[in-house]
Amino acid sequence: MAFLEIDNLSAFYGRAQSLHDVSFDVAQGEIVAVIGTNGAGKSTLMDSIIGMVKNTGAIRLEGADLVGRGSAEIVRMGVGYAPERAHLFPFMAIEDNLLVGGYTARDDIGRNLAHVHELFPVLKERATQETSTLSGGERQMVSVGRALMTSPRLLLVDEPTIGLSPKVCTEIAATLRRLNQEDGLTILITEQNINFAMSLATHVHVLETGHLRVSGTPEELMADDELNKAYFGT
Amino acid sequence: MIQILIQGLLLSGLYALIAIGFTLIFSVGRVLNLAYGVNLMLGGYAYFWVSQTLGMPKLVGVAAGAGIGILFGIAIHRLIVKPLKSDPVPVEIATLILAVVMQAGVVLIFGDASKILLPIVEGNWRVAGVSVTANRLAAALISWVILIGLYFFIRKTHVGRAISAVSMDVKGAALSGINPDRINTITWGLSGALGGLAGVFFASVTQLYAGMWVAPLIIAVAVVIVGGIGSIWGTLIVAHIIGFMEVITASFMPEIRGVVTMLLIIGVLVMMPKGLFGRGEL
Repeated sequence: MAFLEIDNLSAFYGRAQSLHDVSFDVAQGEIVAVIGTNGAGKSTLMDSIIGMVKNTGAIRLEGADLVGRGSAEIVRMGVGYAPERAHLFPFMAIEDNLLVGGYTARDDIGRNLAHVHELFPVLKERATQETSTLSGGERQMVSVGRALMTSPRLLLVDEPTIGLSPKVCTEIAATLRRLNQEDGLTILITEQNINFAMSLATHVHVLETGHLRVSGTPEELMADDELNKAYFGT
Repeated sequence: MIQILIQGLLLSGLYALIAIGFTLIFSVGRVLNLAYGVNLMLGGYAYFWVSQTLGMPKLVGVAAGAGIGILFGIAIHRLIVKPLKSDPVPVEIATLILAVVMQAGVVLIFGDASKILLPIVEGNWRVAGVSVTANRLAAALISWVILIGLYFFIRKTHVGRAISAVSMDVKGAALSGINPDRINTITWGLSGALGGLAGVFFASVTQLYAGMWVAPLIIAVAVVIVGGIGSIWGTLIVAHIIGFMEVITASFMPEIRGVVTMLLIIGVLVMMPKGLFGRGEL
């Protein structure tokens, strides 16, 4: 049994269908990336896992079906989510944003907060600063930090590098790798930045207009001529 | 001068308490609860019935005022706001009509003559040479205690921070494990309790009658519009601006008391649509 199983998942916004029978697995301790262009359905996939979109099919975390459960319950079951555009609380201090993340995992707040501060020391230095005044990279750090405050076993990160400088992208990649290797955290990311995804993930899935088109290891996908033409123009 | 300062402070503390429950709903639910004044009316009548008709201790009457506010607040959320999916205009129409219906209900039960509430705290005090009733002073002091308590509740507790979080970003709150619907219910209950308490004190320093929901509603709307979707601090500051304006006009031109507040609403709407402190904070 895979850690996360996505089985024939279709998602709907009203009448519009934005995911069509998507299926893939994520093994425990793995980093998996879903790549695709704007509108491919990447955020819908993430929102479906966390219970924010109406969907059919099955999403199982260690065998327990998540479809039909509310987001609060799914978070309690161990799914942490850093969404696209962060969705931080703009007029709250950094520290308070992180503490809101600890809403469900109250017993772990001290330990989780220390861990987030260790990963991102700047969040400790600027603990009282409002997040509306932060740079894109810092906002991403708060977003990942807030997700870690939920004591996740599966971390979802939607487009972690969007709008960020190459230097910040490298830092984010290093942090995600560290969380994976040192803490054994299972991570699912979505990306438009193919190089970032390929450098980080052990398995990559390509999503196109809501259909899963091809899957494989980064090496396998690099060898796919058609895919190279479509995404790298070579 | 000192008279104006003291009267202004006492009135403003009460106005802040009146407005804060209304601001909470506007910040979290993004709707104007135009039946908010009914919370005050029900609070006042509950106190009257429990402590003066039944003769129970005053503290029980105050608790009854808060309690009926909680029930009424949660009922509005469940029976009107949720079915209308928090769509602002239908909610405003429905809550305004509800207020009129509730007024008729209170007239049916208690009659349309005003009632005199006995002072919650009896006696007179002299503050800096100015004589004030102990009741008015107590109303202002208790308002302050409640507002300070609310501030710490919002800033320092998990549920308080969750209320703040939902007011700023519902999706961000939901993916932090917060159930926004439950937080909305809690906020409506809290707002109702604050309204009910404010009603007990408001009625005890003015009078108790079935149309008494209008004046506090105007004060609350004024504070929200002038302050913007308010921080607690913004609400306090604007409550003082309006409180002092009323005391000053009442001293020099009593005929236009209240009019100035309404002119201020229109002026701010036209010139500063976001209000003086508007930015979406709670």
